[in-house]
Amino acid sequence: MIACHPRQRQAPLNARLAGVLALVLLTLILAGCATTPRLAETTERRLARQVLLDEIPFHGQRDYQCGPASLAMVLNAEGVDVNVDDLIPQVFLPGREGSVQPEMLATVRRQGRIPFPIAPTFDALLTEIDTGHPVVVMQNLSLPAWPLWHYAVAIGYDLDAEDLILHSGMEPGRIESFRRFDATWARSNRWGFVALTPGEAMPETVAELTAMEAIDAFERVQGASASLPAWESLVERFPGSAMGHFALGNARQAKGDPQAAIEAYRIAVKRRPDLAAGWLNLGLVLRNQGDVTQAREALRRATELPGDWQDHARQALESIR
Amino acid sequence: MKKIYRYLSPLLIACLVLASLPVAAAPQAGSDLISTQEALSAERQLSDRERIHEVLARDDVQQQLLTQGVDPVEVEARVAALSDHEAADMADQLEQLPAGASVVGALFAVFVILLVTDILGLTNVFPFTR
Repeated sequence: MIACHPRQRQAPLNARLAGVLALVLLTLILAGCATTPRLAETTERRLARQVLLDEIPFHGQRDYQCGPASLAMVLNAEGVDVNVDDLIPQVFLPGREGSVQPEMLATVRRQGRIPFPIAPTFDALLTEIDTGHPVVVMQNLSLPAWPLWHYAVAIGYDLDAEDLILHSGMEPGRIESFRRFDATWARSNRWGFVALTPGEAMPETVAELTAMEAIDAFERVQGASASLPAWESLVERFPGSAMGHFALGNARQAKGDPQAAIEAYRIAVKRRPDLAAGWLNLGLVLRNQGDVTQAREALRRATELPGDWQDHARQALESIR
Repeated sequence: MKKIYRYLSPLLIACLVLASLPVAAAPQAGSDLISTQEALSAERQLSDRERIHEVLARDDVQQQLLTQGVDPVEVEARVAALSDHEAADMADQLEQLPAGASVVGALFAVFVILLVTDILGLTNVFPFTR
């Protein structure tokens, strides 16, 4: 007990020193983390120096409604006539006093537009803005320990001033430095999406599989008639995509155009001769069209490929023998 | 618990198989095609367990949305608009998912720290620091 006494008297000084040291260290570490994002040279050469999508309408957020407000802005920009009050019951979670990412995407689908997640890089963000797409981004404006999650819409940038322009919160056209924005955006793992009308050209930065999953999820909500134009633009963008042509075939078949479907399936299996589902669907549609010889040939190819649909193919082949 | 699963799993598998049968057996022309969704989840190489989990997740999410105070009239449409993958994410971790709200619920000490980080350009909590 006695031994503690002198130590106790020294403690405040040591603690203060330690505290200052810790703060300095923390500052250095944090400052080290946050640097102005560097663009790839090819991106920098390709992009316009300044872009501002000034036709994007602004909706100010009330209370916790940055999610619905951001959605209203991008949906309006895509020609959907919807306001924040319509969107609140579709996306807001009263228990969480906010909106979660999956439901942000789901709400875009309900409104007849397709949400495409962008690649999680600063290059992708600027590229999308450059091609005319406003991007909904999620930021943590605060530190990870006390998060302050926020949705905003990126509508422009200035490469020379290194500024990003956003419709954010109550502020239209807010200017944030690249560095500060990227520090807050990185905390959501650089999450963002663009909302497009089916049939519009695919976003510049979207990956093939991501795009297919986005359109597929949309198709399940809105049906094949609505998604058909999106599959058309997917294969235009990724002509080598066997799965894309396969999905296009399915959408055409569902819309009642078997001849066009057969055409798409044929391209799919040409791109990937091991696509069992492609051969199988090709065979089934040919069979329904009464083309027994070619149906048999396609189904035979499907039976030769191991996988989930081998039995299905065998049964179909036997049914036309 | 394990015991329950032992009985529950085959039962679930049986239910799912049965539920998918009428689709396969429907006489309507062209309806026995492999759907894009089936083909894509085969591409993603999900295990059967994951697939079952994704299918079952929707009921869970529905319950959770109700608990979170979503209008019961809206719940079904909201769940229907999710992809299987998103539904599974929500079922697993709705409490942990970040919810964009942009209101800070913090203490004074935090206020000071955030003020400093704001000035350093690391955060963006206060509109007057720019």
